[in-house]
Amino acid sequence: MRTVSTLFAGAAFAAASLGVAAPASAATICFAFQDLETEFWVAGHTAITRTLEEAGHTVIERNANEDANRQLEQVRDCIAQGVDGIIIIPQDGESAVTIVNEAQDNDVPIAVFNRPPSDLSKGIIVVADNASIASQAVDFLAQEAIANREGDGKLTPMIIVGDLGDPNAVGRKDGFYAALENYPDDFNTPIEVASEWDAATALANLEAAVTANPEIDLLFTSSDFLFPTIRSVFEPRGMWVPRGEAGHVVMGGLDGDATACQLLKEGFIDSTGVQDLYFEAEAALNAILAAIEAGEAQPNEVIEDPGFALTSANLGEREMDMWGCVLLSEGFLDQ
Amino acid sequence: MTDSGPLPATAEREEPALAPTVGQRAKRIFLSDYFVLYLSLAYFLVLMPFLPTLSNPANLANILSNMWPLLVVAIGQTFVLTIAGIDLSQGSVVGFTSVVGAMLLAATASPDVLSNAPIWGLIIDETGGPLAGVPGGIALAIAAMIAAGGLIGAANGLAIAHFRMPPFMVTLVTMIVISAFAIFLTQSENIRNLPEAYIQLGKGDIVSVYFGEQDESRIPRREIYSFITYPMIIAVTVAIIAHIALSRTVFGRQVFAIGTNRRAAEISGVPVKRVIVLVFTISAVCATIGALLYSTRLEAGRPTLGDGNFLLDVIGATVIGGTSLFGGKGKIIWTVFGVFFFVLLSNTLNLMNLSSFHIDMVKGAVIVAAALLDVLRTRLIRGGI
Repeated sequence: MRTVSTLFAGAAFAAASLGVAAPASAATICFAFQDLETEFWVAGHTAITRTLEEAGHTVIERNANEDANRQLEQVRDCIAQGVDGIIIIPQDGESAVTIVNEAQDNDVPIAVFNRPPSDLSKGIIVVADNASIASQAVDFLAQEAIANREGDGKLTPMIIVGDLGDPNAVGRKDGFYAALENYPDDFNTPIEVASEWDAATALANLEAAVTANPEIDLLFTSSDFLFPTIRSVFEPRGMWVPRGEAGHVVMGGLDGDATACQLLKEGFIDSTGVQDLYFEAEAALNAILAAIEAGEAQPNEVIEDPGFALTSANLGEREMDMWGCVLLSEGFLDQ
Repeated sequence: MTDSGPLPATAEREEPALAPTVGQRAKRIFLSDYFVLYLSLAYFLVLMPFLPTLSNPANLANILSNMWPLLVVAIGQTFVLTIAGIDLSQGSVVGFTSVVGAMLLAATASPDVLSNAPIWGLIIDETGGPLAGVPGGIALAIAAMIAAGGLIGAANGLAIAHFRMPPFMVTLVTMIVISAFAIFLTQSENIRNLPEAYIQLGKGDIVSVYFGEQDESRIPRREIYSFITYPMIIAVTVAIIAHIALSRTVFGRQVFAIGTNRRAAEISGVPVKRVIVLVFTISAVCATIGALLYSTRLEAGRPTLGDGNFLLDVIGATVIGGTSLFGGKGKIIWTVFGVFFFVLLSNTLNLMNLSSFHIDMVKGAVIVAAALLDVLRTRLIRGGI
């Protein structure tokens, strides 16, 4: 609750900065999300709901609590209530396809925020180019790890993968491998740790992986929300060390949340791939409102967020382009 | 006997006393088989003025659509609760058997998603599952699902009946093991690209209705409401078979006998162990049919289907219907009404725009209230109040 209220400040910033088109008439929008477990989802939820409400629209919120069947039933309820449009953060890519079809069959325009359906041909899909963003972040990590290498041996990389039923997780994994392919002589086969987007699962699997492979030179987590979990595994083993000190593991993630921003500033991590949350929220809102205004029931469009990598090298220049750093500057982590 | 005069007068005086008092009527309604139905209708009527969408045909179609899969699973739980047991493994059976059906039937599969799964190359590959496109493949896949679910249920029943292990412990362990196994099989991935005819079992309409005149050549889809659907036919068929089995057969009487007093049932010659095994098998088969309906409406086999609050919904709906947690008391019609009330409750809480946390809290409170009502009804029937 504190997190949500704190993020209102960020949302106010977002609402002020989101260039959402003024509607001819107020619309009723159903916003169905799968959960609000991470900073990214909370910030995205807040930006969308506050912006819509401040623009005079009615928002019907539905939290599926990570249950795909419940989300389908909630969206059907929204359709029965006669909403003008739907924005969803789906549980996974497969259920997103079913829900988009359900909405379009009932002539209700639908936008999918950040977690894309397995089939991108239907609905307004706002998605980050996860492979490209991950590749940029990991490329920087690879260069850092090579620069810090002691001796001639190959380095050992590790990736914490997300739930591979989520296309975002697949894109991030692909980007990781694509970046390391540029350095074939420098890295061993990466060690994969499954997280299923669940901190408890990640903790158990990471502990096992680090116990079996204590000599890790590079770690990439598919989501920044797992940094506290990584810290709890690394710190007792003396692996949670800032840049420039002996034992530092070159580390990065993807999302661009406030925790990642702080860790980057403190030197514990070296890069993070940034999704432009406010751009994505604005794009989703503008597209769905435009479709409602035009009376278009089945709008199909893919809007890509190119994103970027915030690294220890460009931190000074691009810090405030990252939504997590904006929240951090507003005292988010001090609350 | 000497004074015959007062007799008619006495009869006249007694006549009003024969008419049930308000309290007796309330008690009769309270103890009626239809109590939960009356409660549901009253709840519906009270809320209708405040929630105009509630009586909207699209919303009524949603309530029915959400009811059928839950009803099938709850019917299985009714048998188990009636023998004073509990089946916590139903959710995991739903997830596991949905994966079994999907991996046999999927038309194609992506190596990007499934290549790390142990079933990749063994059962499913880029060309799909072994029964994809095979004539009668869907029936075979469903038979395989039911066999897999039935085996799990039989294993539960054997452990409970022959080793006298507590149902809570046995089915809890089964839940953990089968859930983990389902996730292991696909490495937590969902299996998509199911055949259209299979998906129709969970989503297909047989009769749809449209209210109003047809002014345009094309009626908007959102104004056409599903009325008779394949899930409805499947669920109603299961309910009728279960009703006959529980109320009109020797097996049904044996179920009640075990639930009332297992020891007495054994002494009376009831084949207690066989009935317990059969009851847990029925429960798992019902969960499997539920898996068929859930996975086809979501168009994917999902190892995590049946996780989360699913058991709360199943057991809650069954208990709300009136099936006793203490055993010996249960009817399929009660479960039908319980599921209807539970789905109606969820629907109205959604329409009130409550958060999922509040909805779960209200559901939990209603289940506790239902359990208390069960105690009260039992005491009333036994004359304790």
